[in-house]
Amino acid sequence: MTKATLPATAALALLGLAGGASAAEPIRIGVVTPLSGTYAPIGQQVRWGLELALKEVNAAGGIMGRPVELLFEDEEANPAVATQKAEKLFQVNKVDFLTGTVNSGSTLAVGQLAERNDRLIATTVSFSDAITTDKCSPNVFRVNARAGQQSAALAEWLAKDKPQAKVYYLGPDYEMGRSTVAAFKAAAEKTGAQSTGEVFAPLDSKDYSQYFGQLRAARPAVLYTSTAGNDTVRLLTQMSEYGLLRNLTVVGASGTVTAQNIGAIGKAADGFVTGVGYSAELDTPENKAFVAAFRKAYDAAPDLYGADSYGLLAFYKAAVEKAGTTETAKLREAMRGLQWPTPQGLKTMRAGDHQAIQDMYAVRVTEGRFTIVGTVPGEAAIGPDLCARF
Amino acid sequence: MREAVMTAVSLPRSPSRGPLNATHWLALLFLAVALVFAAVAWTTGNGFYLRLATEALIFAGLAMSVDLLLGYTGLLSLGQALYFGLGAYVSALVLRDGAPSFWLATGAALAAGALAGLVGGVIANRVKGVYFALITFGLAQVVAKAVYNTRELGASDGIIGIPQIRVTLGPLALDTADPLSFFLFVLGLTMAVYAGLAYLMDAPFGRTLAAIRANEKRVPFLGFNAWGHKLAVYVLAACVAALSGALYPMLRGFVSPELLFFHTSGNAVVTVIVGGVGTLIGPIAGSVLLTALRSVVGSWTEHHLIVVGVIFMLSVIFLRKGLVGALLPWLERRAAARARHGRRSAP
Repeated sequence: MTKATLPATAALALLGLAGGASAAEPIRIGVVTPLSGTYAPIGQQVRWGLELALKEVNAAGGIMGRPVELLFEDEEANPAVATQKAEKLFQVNKVDFLTGTVNSGSTLAVGQLAERNDRLIATTVSFSDAITTDKCSPNVFRVNARAGQQSAALAEWLAKDKPQAKVYYLGPDYEMGRSTVAAFKAAAEKTGAQSTGEVFAPLDSKDYSQYFGQLRAARPAVLYTSTAGNDTVRLLTQMSEYGLLRNLTVVGASGTVTAQNIGAIGKAADGFVTGVGYSAELDTPENKAFVAAFRKAYDAAPDLYGADSYGLLAFYKAAVEKAGTTETAKLREAMRGLQWPTPQGLKTMRAGDHQAIQDMYAVRVTEGRFTIVGTVPGEAAIGPDLCARF
Repeated sequence: MREAVMTAVSLPRSPSRGPLNATHWLALLFLAVALVFAAVAWTTGNGFYLRLATEALIFAGLAMSVDLLLGYTGLLSLGQALYFGLGAYVSALVLRDGAPSFWLATGAALAAGALAGLVGGVIANRVKGVYFALITFGLAQVVAKAVYNTRELGASDGIIGIPQIRVTLGPLALDTADPLSFFLFVLGLTMAVYAGLAYLMDAPFGRTLAAIRANEKRVPFLGFNAWGHKLAVYVLAACVAALSGALYPMLRGFVSPELLFFHTSGNAVVTVIVGGVGTLIGPIAGSVLLTALRSVVGSWTEHHLIVVGVIFMLSVIFLRKGLVGALLPWLERRAAARARHGRRSAP
């Protein structure tokens, strides 16, 4: 009895929702993002980016004449909280679409929940390759660049700027650190770089000088590192004190040198190169307009999270207008292969794995600022489609 | 005879005992409220609240396991999430890679919980007081970090793709995907665990634990083995936590290392203190209350941690025995008054 009634009522409710959606009824988008805790600064950028885009979309008449509404929930960067909040948005608030998850575990768990609720989600932040490769889901889209694109962009730049370079790798000794190094190593070797050795230091190492002997003996021209936060501060300042930064190009993951730790690293950060999907310095009219509007609204510069979240609403708008509906199956079809405008220029959603294709940039730290030193076209950085599920 | 035993091991603070004391009435009241809630949620077609309540009951199991140690034996465990997470991971792996069988998954989780509890108990029970708290905390951190860095266990991403299953109970079968039937099932299981533990705590085993809490050094003079009892209750608590953990992936379809983090252990301790230490039903009520509160306040403001924190502080200051601890004396007075009244009116 129970089992027969519940799906029936659910179906009726869905029908009612689809049928009753009048022109004035708002389109609701749920945003499950960390608003408290360690990841709150990322959640803040996500929120700013989305709210700025919301203002502009609604001022221009909404999506298909319907105003857009954002409903925020704090996921505390914890998948167990994120699924609970996402379920509330899906079932109680009846959102049409969901976004905002930051850590990859949350994106994967919420993606599975979206499948079970027959809704679509998109992440604007999560890097983990798994989301659009071996753990891909027909209900999950990623509008930002994944880790593989970042390392591919950096490897492309390296091959062009320092062909056949001898590279040494120094990573933090935990799963993410090791997999980041492995991914870049594979990409760099494919473009002709020679690996001269690798070493993994424990997280929160106080003293990196014990690795400097090995590093010097390998005589590399390039050092790749995937440390983050204060580890980078110690690594780079100690290398600078030992005079190791002369004649050595330091490259790294996009989280290695950030706005948070660049001040503490100081001059030792100069010359550091990384691959990213966005920089506020991008010299295009779209980006200049976006940065100006962002600064005016929040008195802060956007970072890649803010920019990609801002671009998400354009993606959703373009998809809904192409599909002519917010219905899941039709919307998914519309999103596949879709092109949409973002501050980084036109992005394309690859149909095979739901990963956005976009131009990537190599940026170098020069006197405390990130300047763009190379652009890698989207097709060169995207890599093969490894999603087998659809 | 029963009375004689009770006075022999007369203990400082413990709610009144008897075949159906005030705590048990509270448990029945809780069950009734839960059933009314289920009926209302089902008639209004509210699957989300049923599933939220199911999650609250799952974490209530973890809180009961903390209460066994903290409330009955006087051992503060800051690492109970270790066994909860262990149960969740074992259940997830069995359901995904083994067979989608409820009994196999919970059986494996219980076995793993008992084994890990035995190892952890031998290590942790070497020390007392604050050192016990620190060791349990450390053990859980070590395992959490190991899981976080093990690629085979999904590392920081956790494991998704755990199927929704059918639970067979003799002639009956229910679907974990159906919010109502899974809620009722978990409710039944939680109340059964509660009843079993409450019985055990009233039995000589529980009295010995209370004696250990009151004064461990004197217990051997009464002819009891304090260390053995402490190890036994630690293993029991680990099994309860592992059993609750085993239910988590059935509800949510994934596990992640966050389930093992201090966040989870700490929340369980907070739940026990807000609900009422040493009552078993208090942690259940506390879990339901805090889960509901987090969900509602969390949607309303991002400063929900402050709200929950203030409530915790207020309850520590004003309700020193927790919610249930504040209700019990009142209930007991009423029961006593009724009993006196009954005796007088009897012929």
